[in-house]
Amino acid sequence: MRLLRASWTIARKDLRVYFRDRTGMLLGFGLPVVLVLAFGFIYKMTFGAPGGLSRTTLWVTDEDDSAASRGFLERLRAADLLAVRPRTNEPRRPREELRALVEDGEAHHALVIEAGFEQTLREERIPELTMYRDPDRDMESQLVSIGLLQAFVSGDAGELAPLLTARALKLGGLPEAWSDRILDLSRGFSDSIEALFGQAQDLGLLEEEDPKPDDTDQADGGLGFGTIMSRLVPVNDVDIKPPARPKQLSFMLAHNISGISVMMLMFGLVACGTMLIQEREQGTMARLLMAAVPRESLLFGKFLFTAVVGACQLAVMFTVGALVFQVNLIRDPVTLLVLCLALIFAVTAFGMLIAAFARTTKQAEGSATLIILVMSALGGAWFPVQMFDLPTAGAIAARCTLTWWAMSGFQGMLWYGKTWTDPGVLRDVGVLLAFGAAASLIAVRLFRRRFVDR
Amino acid sequence: MNDAAPLLEVEKLCYSYNGRQAVLNLTLSIRTGEIFGLLGPNGAGKTTTISIIAGLLSAASGRMLFEGEPFRPSHSGRHRGRLGVVPQELALYGHLTARENIEFFATLSGVPRAALRDASDRALDLSGLLDRAGDRVDTFSGGMKRRLNLAVGCLNDPALIILDEPSVGVDPQSRRHIFDALHRLSEEGRTLLYTTHYMEEAERLCDRIAIMDVGRVIAVGTACELAEQAGIPGQDLEQVFLRLTGKRLRDG
Repeated sequence: MRLLRASWTIARKDLRVYFRDRTGMLLGFGLPVVLVLAFGFIYKMTFGAPGGLSRTTLWVTDEDDSAASRGFLERLRAADLLAVRPRTNEPRRPREELRALVEDGEAHHALVIEAGFEQTLREERIPELTMYRDPDRDMESQLVSIGLLQAFVSGDAGELAPLLTARALKLGGLPEAWSDRILDLSRGFSDSIEALFGQAQDLGLLEEEDPKPDDTDQADGGLGFGTIMSRLVPVNDVDIKPPARPKQLSFMLAHNISGISVMMLMFGLVACGTMLIQEREQGTMARLLMAAVPRESLLFGKFLFTAVVGACQLAVMFTVGALVFQVNLIRDPVTLLVLCLALIFAVTAFGMLIAAFARTTKQAEGSATLIILVMSALGGAWFPVQMFDLPTAGAIAARCTLTWWAMSGFQGMLWYGKTWTDPGVLRDVGVLLAFGAAASLIAVRLFRRRFVDR
Repeated sequence: MNDAAPLLEVEKLCYSYNGRQAVLNLTLSIRTGEIFGLLGPNGAGKTTTISIIAGLLSAASGRMLFEGEPFRPSHSGRHRGRLGVVPQELALYGHLTARENIEFFATLSGVPRAALRDASDRALDLSGLLDRAGDRVDTFSGGMKRRLNLAVGCLNDPALIILDEPSVGVDPQSRRHIFDALHRLSEEGRTLLYTTHYMEEAERLCDRIAIMDVGRVIAVGTACELAEQAGIPGQDLEQVFLRLTGKRLRDG
């Protein structure tokens, strides 16, 4: 009984202490709620499409501009897995611009509906399509192939569906000389299938589509579903990739190295930032503030220390990553250095802001964890949200995080082989520096208000 | 000592925390070379006063003069450089050794790199820790930390050393060592501003004493003069203190 009473007394005291730090307590309770909301939001944005797969962005330009090509474009827009750009309210982009988007890494697939699309269909031939693509973006390639197939075989695809069936039969081994017979057969097959659907609909027997994709990928003697799709849909692929991209590097590996580095750097540096609070808690801050040196040197000293630790952390992470995965991640040391310095500046300033804002270590750790996890999820450090067509609100929110710009910069360097002089990398570096400058200014003002101008 | 020129003059200082007046029109003068005691019950405004003098807080009104010149330590690193501060808290880094702590604070105090070793040896000697120079501070006893805390506050060769209860919670041996160190500093010509709750300590150490209550100085003088001012000549300082500040409990 005494044990129970004593235990309860101690627990009650701890609860009182815990709930007295209201900010810390709110963070403790609010953190899980905010994280659940953030992740729910992210997964809804990325996996919210029918079938649980996200829409992937496909840039398209229609050089035929005929009724048939416009119809095809509409069917592409209606495809479950594609987010076609430019959107209907955006201006058209010519072929050269689309190619440049893929070269810059702003797009991974860009489709050109060649001039003569309608005429070719009239001649009962499959029309020419050209796809500028990053050949190593396998996941997106499969999604694009499925989307293209949907556009080819959807109910109102007119001549395209039988043409595609005929192509499938040819791919199956039937001789070229039988083309007319194959086409007649597939046309008849299409008509029969269409009639079957019509009949089922009239009788009210048409069941809802099963949104789940067929995951029996390994049919056809080891050919993947995506491969079959890409062979069925006749597209002339123009592969665009930087020559220096290491063979061992996959898109996800590059993403993971960037994402984990950015996130862990944020955690590491915020922990360093809390040392300012420790100075206060252990009584040394007063002595430092009374020293005959400018008081801001206390804040800048922490900044410098945190930045040095950050540089070491990044160096270790990239070196270990390169050794373990046998990928040369330090191909362009200058660009790596520029990006790392910009990231370290931004993250360190962020850590200083937390340190200047929080009154206790508990508050600092709680708020930092909350912000870091949300920024990591939203900015694509955990999952490459950049791959997907985010709704406008999501896209804006993602770009408000420093993680987004850090990921963009590192991915640009690692995957697309961009150098620090590339406008995209310069933009990413500029935004990171702006983040850092804004956070530093606020941190200095807070610091002065709380510790200097008292 | 009575003829010595004032080193620090404080005139009509005011400071309040969230509307509560902590220091009100406080005026005092500390002469060069003296040990000046600042006594008062809890919440009398002693810590606020020394925080203003040390530059940790900015007074809402009033002014300070140091050797006759305007003195604003809260705004000037050069002014702060004339002070040595020994805070009540043990402001040391437990993970660093005694020598590392001293060298760090000495560097911040502007001691040149070449003179660091000599400065740290002097500070270690003052704190009686020469033989423990290479040990981490978190392995030290409370008394050793107090002595080191005192030595660190004197690194910049200051004209005025502010000591906020430097002997609190130490054993008699360490206390005696601290007193000896303070006498040494005084003999070297330093001026000391000393706060404490130990009356016999103040009586033994200080040349003059100011007694504060509710943010003001209510009496200043030697221990004998204070007893006369309180109307109980010949009584000890504790009796004088209680007579002047009353027996009511003070809770800040």
